[in-house]
Order: sequence, then structure tokens, then C-alpha cells
Amino acid sequence: MWRTLKIPGRMPFRTLRSKLVFSFLLVVLAGGLSSTMIGTRMVGNTIISEAQNKGRHDMASAWMVYQEKINRIKDVLHLTAKRDLIIRSLVGREVEVLRRQLERVRIEYGLDVLTVTDQEGVVLTRTRSPYRTGDFQGNDESVRRALKREIVSSTEIVLQEELAKEGPELVRQAYMEFVPTPMAKARPETRETSGMMLKAAVPILDINDNVLGTLYGGSLLNRNYEIVDKIKDIVFKGERYKGIDTGTATIFQWDLRISTNVKDKSGLRAISTRVAKDVYDQVLENGRAWIDRAFVVNDWYIAAYEPIRNLKGEIIGILYVGTLEEPYTDLRNNVIYSFFGIAFLGLVLVLFLAYFITRSITRPIDELVRATEVIAGGDFSHEVSIQSRDEVGYLATSFNRMTRTLKATMDELYVVNTKLQELNRHYLEMVGFITHELMQPMGVLKGFLIMLFDESLGSLNTPRQKQAVSTMLRNVDSLINMIQKYLQLGRIESGKMEVNKVRIPIYGEALQPILEDERQQLAARKMEVKVENEEAFRRAEGEADPVLLRIVFSNLIGNAIKYGREGGKIWCGFREEPGELLFYVRNEGQGIPSDKLTRVFEKFSRLEGELERRRGGTGLGLFNAKEIVERHGGRIWAESEEGKWANFLFTIPKAPKKA
Amino acid sequence: MERPKILVIDDEPDFVEMIRMALEREFEVLVAYDGKEGVARARSDKPEAIVLDIMMPEKDGFTACQELKSNSTTSSIPILILTGVGEYFGRTKYAKVRGMEIEADDFMAKPVDPNELVRRVAALLKKD
Repeated sequence: MWRTLKIPGRMPFRTLRSKLVFSFLLVVLAGGLSSTMIGTRMVGNTIISEAQNKGRHDMASAWMVYQEKINRIKDVLHLTAKRDLIIRSLVGREVEVLRRQLERVRIEYGLDVLTVTDQEGVVLTRTRSPYRTGDFQGNDESVRRALKREIVSSTEIVLQEELAKEGPELVRQAYMEFVPTPMAKARPETRETSGMMLKAAVPILDINDNVLGTLYGGSLLNRNYEIVDKIKDIVFKGERYKGIDTGTATIFQWDLRISTNVKDKSGLRAISTRVAKDVYDQVLENGRAWIDRAFVVNDWYIAAYEPIRNLKGEIIGILYVGTLEEPYTDLRNNVIYSFFGIAFLGLVLVLFLAYFITRSITRPIDELVRATEVIAGGDFSHEVSIQSRDEVGYLATSFNRMTRTLKATMDELYVVNTKLQELNRHYLEMVGFITHELMQPMGVLKGFLIMLFDESLGSLNTPRQKQAVSTMLRNVDSLINMIQKYLQLGRIESGKMEVNKVRIPIYGEALQPILEDERQQLAARKMEVKVENEEAFRRAEGEADPVLLRIVFSNLIGNAIKYGREGGKIWCGFREEPGELLFYVRNEGQGIPSDKLTRVFEKFSRLEGELERRRGGTGLGLFNAKEIVERHGGRIWAESEEGKWANFLFTIPKAPKKA
Repeated sequence: MERPKILVIDDEPDFVEMIRMALEREFEVLVAYDGKEGVARARSDKPEAIVLDIMMPEKDGFTACQELKSNSTTSSIPILILTGVGEYFGRTKYAKVRGMEIEADDFMAKPVDPNELVRRVAALLKKD
């Protein structure tokens, strides 16, 4: 079965795959974000500068419209001044004829003013106010220059009194009270009385080229929307955006809107409002063009403003064209949104792709991991099948080679181990057989030696004979003891040791028989056993194999006698602990160095020194005891104060309470 | 006074000789060298106590003990069993060893202290 791959670590990602996907994502996110930022910035700038270019272009077109209107006036005047009838009626001072002819021209060409002066500059007739004549116009720059045979045309400011002379309606047409305008420059005036006029003046010459007089005329721009609407039509072709004209044009008299198609909030032409202060300063004060976004009346426009100059070159007003900024900002925003949209789609796509790509990367690794687990579980026949030419492929190949090598080694080891186990069993059987066979004669020897020693078979003649028998007896005991340990070991090692647990009184079944058996040995070394906590000890019952538990006590007490101080005491004790029963055998004597406390339980471990050699230990007693205790589910350990005492403790688990 | 008869059943002549020397100080010693012979001798000679070895050819100690204890003529004779090396049996009348239950009056593990054996046999006789 598959198991969930668990990789410990501080990363919140539990799999290689999620790490890979996250890395992919991070890269795409970083790239996408930065390119989106740069892209939108670039696109934004391009759009704005494109709009400004268009502004410049529009401005040029606007000037063309404006100039065309001026030129038309000039051309009309020029042609009219050359007409024979005009010249003749002027020469003949037929004022009424002249006036009628000119009136027809004025109406035909839509001029507001058409006036004739004599060669001195005195007005002979006005087509609009025929009876206001005789005033001197030679001070007017246009007329003055026409008298000098120049043909001039320009935009001029016409004062109220002059407007009044040309026609009282013109005074009303020009008159404007300022509408309060946010962002406009503060001015002391509150109204405008003069007008701004497209004006031309031409000399009237006779056949001999003498100046007979001048003809001047023009169109008042105030409240005349012909030019601005024509600009709008030509330049912007009447485009609208969200109900608003995208293109607007305005003619300013100084800073005052006198002709415009910019609408105010109520949808009317926003005349009588004034230009923003920034534009005022740049265009009117400094005479420079302005091309930038500007807040015009209600909306933001990409606006172009250029100064209008009169014949003398003085700035008298501004021509403005503007494109609504909103279509451009909307365009820019749309581009930005689509950038983000594309980036997001890309992200989703990358996520999707990464999911599959990483799967192709991690799948072989997952397979390797599973294979490793299978092998860790001991199955060496498993091989991974990964056909790729990359590092993972190499890894898989090496992995399979390693597995095969391991399998071969393991198989060899298995064969060798089986042989070894067999050898060991043979060895143990042999040891068991030999020791068992040795035991019989030893038992006979021991029995006779005891009887010899206690002289129940007749007295020994000399103390030296008695000494000899005593030493023989001691050596036979030692031999028997060694044989017993080997017999125990044989049983433990050959796996024949069955633990037949029964509920027994530990004291009566395990300790007491040993104490009785060891009585002689104790007496021989003048030692005494004290049972501590005896009453509880005698009552203590536990689940244990009585035969095996006796071996434990026998080995521990045997050791205590062997290594304890001659004439010393041995304490056997019992304590009830939570969940287990604890027993101990403590003796006075040399004790055990602290670094040997665990090693004494190792097989064939013996303490160094003369004492050990003379005692003839096998190094098996404690090992056997440990094996037995652990087979019972208990623990065994040693404590000691060197030079004073040693204590061996072991536990067996408490039996489950009977129902 | 006639000395009590003790039947020793063991297949090892040297061992038998050794314990015979010890027991003869107090008792009259009869010997059988295998289980089959031992059971027959117990029936015919009616000893006061039996010292029985476990490891024997023909009929081992367990079987012999069972036969003696289940037969009415011999069931009252106290039996002391000598066990193999390291095979301690309980002090109790019943001991469970290797899954077998054996009913005997006393147990001693080899190698035995002859003096201790004499003491134990004497104790068995006194119990009667």
C-alpha cells in the first residue's frame, strides 16, 4: 500500500512537489508582477505622450481653422477694394452707392463690421451704422498700416466705445460678466466690456496706385461659435464619449472664455468662465504654450493652450483645444487590467502546468521512496522502473544496483548466518551434553568429599589431610557451579527456555530453596543472610516461572557469597512498586566500579583482579539472570558504593488482577 | 530395633554407592538400578521410604512415581525425588515441570549433599 510521504522539516510544505509548485509560482509571480508593473507604466506613458502629441497636432489644426477665417476676411476685403465700382464711387464720393455695395458684401460674407475711411483715416461710411461717420480711425494699427498700402489681418481687442461706433449690438454681444471659476487667477475686474475681433484692413488704390482710402472689417469673436465649432468638427469629427464631446475648443479674450464648446454643468457653453491660474501664468504671463492635462470646467482634459497675439505682437488671448482625458485613462486602465488579467491567467496556467510537470518530476522520486520503504521492510526483490535520462534516472539505476548488491550480500549473510546458527546449536548441544555428563561424576565426587570431610566414613589422621579434602571440596563446588551456569546458558541460548508463568509465592518457591541450598556455602564464608521486609515478602505472590526465578536468585545470592566480604551480611529484600514487584540482593564488600555497573551483565564479563580469578567465575551468572528477568518482562540492574557494598535489583511485572 | 528400609532407585552405580554409604549410617538400604525394577521392589519389599532418580532408562522417575502413587500397596510410601542439575522443583507436594505434574513428598536437586539427604529422608519417616 502507498503511504503518505512524510518529510519532517520547518517548511510548511510537506512534499517535494508542493515545494516545487510553490517555487514555480514564486518565479512566475515575481516575473509577472514586475513585467506588469513595467508594462503598465510604459503603456501609460505611451498613451499619455500619444495624447499629448495628438494635442499638439490638434492645436496646429485649430490654428489652421482660425487662420483660415482671418485670411478669408482679408481676401474678401482685398478683392472688394479692387472692384471698379468701389473705387469709382469712392473717387466720386458717392457714399450711398459705396455703402450699399459694401453692405451687400458684409452680409454676403457674414462680417460684423465693414467700414471705409478716406486717405486721411477719417470714416466715410459704415455699413452697419451708416450715420456714424467722420471719426478718425488713423490711430488704429490696422488702418494706419493699410494707409501705408499694407494689407493686414489679425486678432484685435476692440474697446467698447469703438464697438459702439460700429454697432450698438456689438457692445451687447461683447459684454460679459465673469462667472466665478475655481482655480482661476484672482482679478480685480468683474466684467469685460471690450470685444475681440478678427480684423483685416486693406488700402483702396486708384488706377495710378494712389491711396484713396482704406477698407477695414472683421468678425467679433465674443459669443461667436463658428470657429470653435468648426475646429471641433474638423479636428474631432464630433466624437463623443459617455455623452460628452471628446474634443473641445475655446477662444479666450485674455483669460475669459468668449467662445467655446466646453459645456458647464447645466450643459450650456461655459462662456464668461476663466482659465486656470497655471495656464494663465504660463501662457498669458510668459507667452509659452501649455500642453498637459488640465481641469477644464468639469472634467480633466489633455489640453493645449497657445497665446493669441495682435498685430503688434502683444498677447491678447488664448486659443485652446482639448481632448477629454477619460478615454485615454480608460484605455490605459483597460490595458493595465488586461495586463493583470493575463498575468493572473498565466499564473493559473502555470499552476496547472506545474501540477503536471512536478508530477513527472516527483513521481519517480515517490517511487524511489516507496521502494526504499519496501527494502527497509526487508524485501530486496523490489526494483524501481524509471526510464529517464536525468539524475533521477541515474539514481534509480544506482538504486537498483545497490538493491541487487544488497540482496546478494543479504543472501550470502543469510547462508552464513544459517550455518553459524547451526554451528552454535551444535556447540550448545555439545556443551550441554558435556556439562550434563560432567555433572554426574561431580555429584559423586562432591558427595564422597563431604562425607570424607565430616569424617562420617572414618577419621582423617592429620590436619593436612583434612585441609586437602577441604580444598578438593571447594574446587569441586566451584566446578559444579560453573557447569550449572553453562547448563543455564545452554538452555537460554538454544531457545529452549520456555517461560511457564504460574502464580507462585515468590519467597517460598524461589528464594527459600536457594537459601537452603546455599546454607553450607554461607557457613563456609561465615556469612549471614538477612531477609528484609520479611512478612510482606512471604506474602508476595507473582506470575513467574518458579524454576527460572530460582536460577535468578541462585545466581545473585551465589555472587553475593562469592564476592561479598567474608563474615559479612547479605540482605535479601522485596518492595512493591507501582505495576511491578522489586527484589534485591545486597552484600557488603568491594562493590563494583561505577563504569562497570552495566557491563557486569554482559556475557562472559568478569571483574579483573586476583579475587575474581580465585573465585573462578564464569561470567555467565548475571547474564543468565538478566536474560531470565527480561523474558519475564522485567528489568535488572546493579547499584554500588565502591569499597562498601553492591546491590542487585530486579523487577517482574505485577500479575493482572484476577477477575 | 530394626532399621527402616529405604529403597534407592538410580541407574548410576557410583552415585548409588555414594548415597548408600551415607544412608547406611541410619537405614537399611535397598537398591534398584532402573524404574521397572524399582517399582517391583517397592511392591515386594515394602520400604519405609523411596529415593527416586528422574533420569533413568527403561522407566523414568516420573512414570515410576506415578505408578507407585496410584497403586494402593505403595501409595503410602513417601517418595523423595532427585532431579537433574539445575532443575529445582517446588517444596510443595505438587510441582509442575515441563508441563508435567508430579506428585512426590520431597525434591532434591543433584548434586546432593549426602548429609542433607539423610536429614530429609529422616524427616519423611518422622512425618508418618
